[in-house]
Amino acid sequence: MTCEEFRRVLPELGSGHGFEQEEHLKSCCECSDLLADLNAISQQARLLQGSESPSPWVWNSIEVALRQEGLIRQPQLEHPRTPAPLLGWRLRWLVPLGATLVLVFGVLIYQRGTGHPQVVQQPSPPAGVVTANLQPADVMGGEDLQLLKSVGERMPSMRATYEADLRSVNAYIRDAEQSANSNPNDEVAQQYLRNAYEQKAMVYEMALDRSLP
Amino acid sequence: MTDAKKKQGDKLSEAEAIDRAKQGDAEAFEALYNLHKRRVYSLCLRMTANTAAAEDLTQEAFLQLFRKIGTFRGESAFSTWLHRMAVNVVLMQLRKKNLPVVPLDETMETEEESPRKEPGADDPRLAGSVDRMQLQRSIASLPPGYRMIFLLHDVEGYEHNEIAAMVGCSIGNSKSQLHKARMKLREILKTSRAEKATKP
Repeated sequence: MTCEEFRRVLPELGSGHGFEQEEHLKSCCECSDLLADLNAISQQARLLQGSESPSPWVWNSIEVALRQEGLIRQPQLEHPRTPAPLLGWRLRWLVPLGATLVLVFGVLIYQRGTGHPQVVQQPSPPAGVVTANLQPADVMGGEDLQLLKSVGERMPSMRATYEADLRSVNAYIRDAEQSANSNPNDEVAQQYLRNAYEQKAMVYEMALDRSLP
Repeated sequence: MTDAKKKQGDKLSEAEAIDRAKQGDAEAFEALYNLHKRRVYSLCLRMTANTAAAEDLTQEAFLQLFRKIGTFRGESAFSTWLHRMAVNVVLMQLRKKNLPVVPLDETMETEEESPRKEPGADDPRLAGSVDRMQLQRSIASLPPGYRMIFLLHDVEGYEHNEIAAMVGCSIGNSKSQLHKARMKLREILKTSRAEKATKP
């Protein structure tokens, strides 16, 4: 095989060579160098793949276009890959609700004690009645049980602690109520009652916050 | 986007990102973009040899991809699908601008008719001394037709039958163009090296 013949078939050669070409390459430095150069160029070229990076504005423009075309939708709060935080988001509405209920009860009790003196002159209802109306005692109410159920699902080891806290704060509320009912004009007793409800709100908040990411 | 979110986006697997992008998730789109932006942009840049045009083409390629992502069924690799789309966008753009994809004069030029000059023919071989920057510059100075085939084959790794289908030429033509591109690059690189050697 001559150099001319070798160069004529060179474009057709892939990675391998035939016997004739091999024999020619062994005897011809010029063709051998040529082939080595072409291979070196080819190998070096492969390293150029993905070697450049576009400026950040390219993504910004793409994102703007995607939003304009409605291909990007609003992010959803509920993330399918994170079930635990999801539970937290579901229950988070209980925090303001619980706090509001507690404060409303507190304000009502306060008004009954200070805002409406005629109540004072009426015979005080039996302590048990008041407790039943206001629901909390050291006996768990519906909301308390729901909270404990949620805590138990997420943090089983903490359930007992929260149950004890709730029983304790419910008992505190019951005592404060009894005291406020017995002494409707006693500012200190009213303050104790408000504090008791605030503590319960705090327990709720802590229990729900722990479930958040 | 915050760094934390960006990190989360980068961590998405490609399959997961594709699924979420189909639902319109912004982070998933960005994750897919980050995974493939360099390769797409590099291809566009080398094809056009123009930064602004390359960025426009990159944007267009990704927009086309994201518009059609709902139709991606996973029969082929996502990267194959994306890069083929990017190549098509570039080719379409080049045709719109009447830039020669495979110029006839270059295509029809035979080995016998081509100039035989090899300025660095007596120099030692290039192998081992081809540096990346030098090669990039040399590729940019190639005629567009040669450059395109060289980039598609040697840089992007397409086979001659794929290139022939994409560009609209014969397989033989693609092989011939590639060989001529490599020969031209060798010539440019040797000339460049010789010039460098003569400089004080």
